Amino acid sequence: MVLAHQMALENPLIHAEMIEANEFYDLARRYNVSSVPQITINEGKSVILGAVPEAYLLQEIIRVMQS
Amino acid sequence: MPYILLNEELINQIQDMFDSQLKHPVEILYFSKQDRCDTCEDTHQLLEEVTSLSDKLHLSIHNLEENPELAQQYQVVLAPGLVITGLENDKLLDFGVHFSGIPSGSEFGSLIHAIIMVSKRDSGLKPEIRKELKDLSIPINLKVFVTPT
Repeated sequence: MVLAHQMALENPLIHAEMIEANEFYDLARRYNVSSVPQITINEGKSVILGAVPEAYLLQEIIRVMQS
Repeated sequence: MPYILLNEELINQIQDMFDSQLKHPVEILYFSKQDRCDTCEDTHQLLEEVTSLSDKLHLSIHNLEENPELAQQYQVVLAPGLVITGLENDKLLDFGVHFSGIPSGSEFGSLIHAIIMVSKRDSGLKPEIRKELKDLSIPINLKVFVTPT
């Protein structure tokens, strides 16, 4: 979770929200969460499973931005 | 204040971190709701305990249903919902550091980290990553699904 929040601090265009998947089961289901952590970028433009290095998350953000 | 959720060891540990690392004041906006919120009470208690550990930390309590304008302003739709804001000249700075659901278990560490980070206004990311993040041209929404293990 920490990484997404770190990125949010760097740019006002980034909004990062931790979502407790058990508590918000319906929401988690809507975003097809089957394992955690899962990072969903811009409502599913990219879905990242498991903990990833910062360079990977950055690369996915840029890919979403350019698509 | 009476501590129910934090034990003495944890209190001392967090207090040391806060004393040495907090810089600017932080306000946590906490949104609850009356019904169907199993973790609201514990989340509230947890936040009261955490924010009592430094006079740089402030907690404001809001009801999602009674104050929908404020919730909308901060894009909060779920309760318990937390927005970790920087307090600057009586203004709240929303950096997009939010939590939906109780930050317990491993996510308790994320909460403490988020508070310190916002207070320091420093993400701690590598310079090359920061540089690339400055160049975004569209809003980016990151939903990080976790479970408190």
